Amino acid sequence: MKITKVLRVAAREFASTAITKGFIIGALVLPAVMAAVIPVVMVLAMRAQPPADTGTIYILDHSAEVTTVLDERLDPEAVKERWIQRFDRSIKSAKKLMPQVGGAAVENSREQVESIIKSPVFRIIPAGTDTDLEELKEELRNQVASKATLDDEQHRLLAIIEIDADATLKVNEDEGYGAYQAFFRPKLNEETVGEIKDGVRWSIRQKRYENADLDRTMIAEINSIQARDSKEITEEGERNEASAIASFAIPFVAMILLLMASMTGGQYLLTTTVEEKSNRVVEVLLSAVSPLELMTGKIIGQMGVGLSLLTIYNSVGIIALIVFKRGDLVTPLTFLYLFIFFILAYFMFASLMAAIGSAVNDLREAQSLMTPVMLMMIMPYIFFMPVIRAPNSLFSTITSFIPPVSPFIMIMRVSSTDPPPFWQVGLAIILNMIAVLLFLWFAAKVFRVGLLMFGKPPNLRTLIKWVRMA
Amino acid sequence: MTQAVSMDGVRKTFGRKVAVEGIDLTIPEGSVYGFIGPNGAGKTTTIRMIMSILFPDHGDLSVLGKKSAVESKDRIGYLPEERGIYKKMKVGSFLKHIGRLKGLDSRGLNSTVMEWLDRVELAEVHKKKCEELSKGMQQKVQFIASVLHDPDLIILDEPFSGLDPINMRLLRNLINDEHAKGKTVIFSTHVMHQAEQLCDHIVMIHQGKKVLDDTLEDIRTRFDPRAIHVDPIGGMEKADEIAQLSGVSHVSPVEGALEVVLHEGIEPQIAMKSLLEAHPMNRIEIKRPTLEDVFIEIVTGGKRGEDAAQLRADLLAGTKNEEEEVAS
Repeated sequence: MKITKVLRVAAREFASTAITKGFIIGALVLPAVMAAVIPVVMVLAMRAQPPADTGTIYILDHSAEVTTVLDERLDPEAVKERWIQRFDRSIKSAKKLMPQVGGAAVENSREQVESIIKSPVFRIIPAGTDTDLEELKEELRNQVASKATLDDEQHRLLAIIEIDADATLKVNEDEGYGAYQAFFRPKLNEETVGEIKDGVRWSIRQKRYENADLDRTMIAEINSIQARDSKEITEEGERNEASAIASFAIPFVAMILLLMASMTGGQYLLTTTVEEKSNRVVEVLLSAVSPLELMTGKIIGQMGVGLSLLTIYNSVGIIALIVFKRGDLVTPLTFLYLFIFFILAYFMFASLMAAIGSAVNDLREAQSLMTPVMLMMIMPYIFFMPVIRAPNSLFSTITSFIPPVSPFIMIMRVSSTDPPPFWQVGLAIILNMIAVLLFLWFAAKVFRVGLLMFGKPPNLRTLIKWVRMA
Repeated sequence: MTQAVSMDGVRKTFGRKVAVEGIDLTIPEGSVYGFIGPNGAGKTTTIRMIMSILFPDHGDLSVLGKKSAVESKDRIGYLPEERGIYKKMKVGSFLKHIGRLKGLDSRGLNSTVMEWLDRVELAEVHKKKCEELSKGMQQKVQFIASVLHDPDLIILDEPFSGLDPINMRLLRNLINDEHAKGKTVIFSTHVMHQAEQLCDHIVMIHQGKKVLDDTLEDIRTRFDPRAIHVDPIGGMEKADEIAQLSGVSHVSPVEGALEVVLHEGIEPQIAMKSLLEAHPMNRIEIKRPTLEDVFIEIVTGGKRGEDAAQLRADLLAGTKNEEEEVAS
């Protein structure tokens, strides 16, 4: 095998795939645009809140004590204050997760927050206890049906609330409290409906506490339990409990990156091989290089494509982690493993793709031979949940040793919060290397025979016959 | 003289089908060899084995002194029967890519490519994509790809198919140029008169077997039909009279003339003289054996009749298809 020829084939393969408009747009521009657009969309979504619902709520209060509490609870100023507090709380938790962003980007003044928040404005109108509920419903129905815009938005009927007489005070000690029922105008904002229901429930509860002679603040204090510290004690020392991001997202992203990079290279390899074969350019090439040189060159060239993708996305990931000050989530070792397992996974994919590409006459025919490849691709998704939940279970351990799924399972295990012992990783690498050699051997045989075979597309049995033949 | 190619009892089967059956062949350096035979005779398989694209099941083969072409690929130029080209690549880049694969140095490669494009009158296309070229242009580009690296052995599988007469002549001249430089040229064709125009040596393959391997001159002598074509003034009624002349074995009508077959030992030159004395002629010529005739003679074992007629029809049909291809 002449290295110069192999490299020459590889160079063309890489250039014809990666240095094209389509690839550059797909690999670089698209993620960049998405990264730029997502924050803008988020800001827009925050600013462009639906217009606040304004209108009237009828309350048919048979208990005769909820209305006043509810009136206070749903006072426009009180509602607005709660909404602002809720917004502040969500900003605070975002800051905790991503200190950089929280610290600088989302530091709003009170005035700014007030201008952003559009809380609903309610007017509570008590209906006399002798009013027929059906009449109130009829009024709402007519309003909805007429579709006419009301001169005064305040007259827009939003909801009808009926509260049972025994909702706040038990009539009979053996039975439970009474209930309430609510009827809403269709297409109200979810938040508005939530605010109304919460208000009713809060008010009923308030009266129940009072009637039972209980101190609400005291009960709230009793219910609130703070954990000063919650850590795992390990051999090396104490560490924070694994967050959802560390235990779930990082392994998942690592596996997806691995799958994507190796699949992309493999897919391109299939396409170019089929193309060279159906173009008949392959015989010209074979007069200059041996089939093995050709296949090796092509596999190496597309490995370059996969590596480029992996490097691009890794860089983006690293930058993101640095920006969000969450560098603790990954170690350099994770990236090293990502590259090692990429090479192993890619070679297995690529061997299959080269074999399939050489055996068929066009891409359509390739579909029928793709089953093993598809299986290889789907397996990591199927195994993803059980492996991430228990990265060191017997199931995870065994599957991480079985090529060709091994690289995908192993990358999830090594990037989890509970990485396996080093000997397991080493053993998996060795087993995968053996598998890679077998895959390449198989592919080389099929490739040699397949390239010059035209006509009926082969099935798996024919492929095995070719392997014996070559 | 050293051998460019030698084959000894080479056999190749595909499943149950025998493609090539025990071919022995030596091709000396500097010669122009034509492989002829009908479609499916085994020409391409033989060539692919010489190129080490396929490997023989039995027999020995050596190319340019090496056990297989794998070791001397860079000294061989090959134009496959199935033309291949990277459609999306520019003509210049395609040729340079192939040149580098063939072991050419990047330095000076550009001017070599341009020189060649100039020679085949395609100088202006090197920046065009291959798919933008016409079929004939593509074929010329592919020919360049096969000779760009100045190989010692040039193997051309059906090089003329798909070319118009002007480009056929251009290609013939290019092949003759290479021959003049001392290169060995092997080419295959199923159109026999093309072989007659170019080759000094003919190898005929039929059903995977070599049925003829000789110089064109020897073939002509060996298969001298000992016949004279005449077109006597006064028309074909003179056939009987001519048949009575001494030295004439028999006379039969062929396409607007009479074929006068001579007895053994009669010199055609002398017979012509006596024919002219006996009758005034519009036209008289010694019949030259065409490769078609030779091929049919060999395959049918000298028998005439329906088999031979059928075979001739098949061969002519092949030629005709070729012409139609050119026309389209």
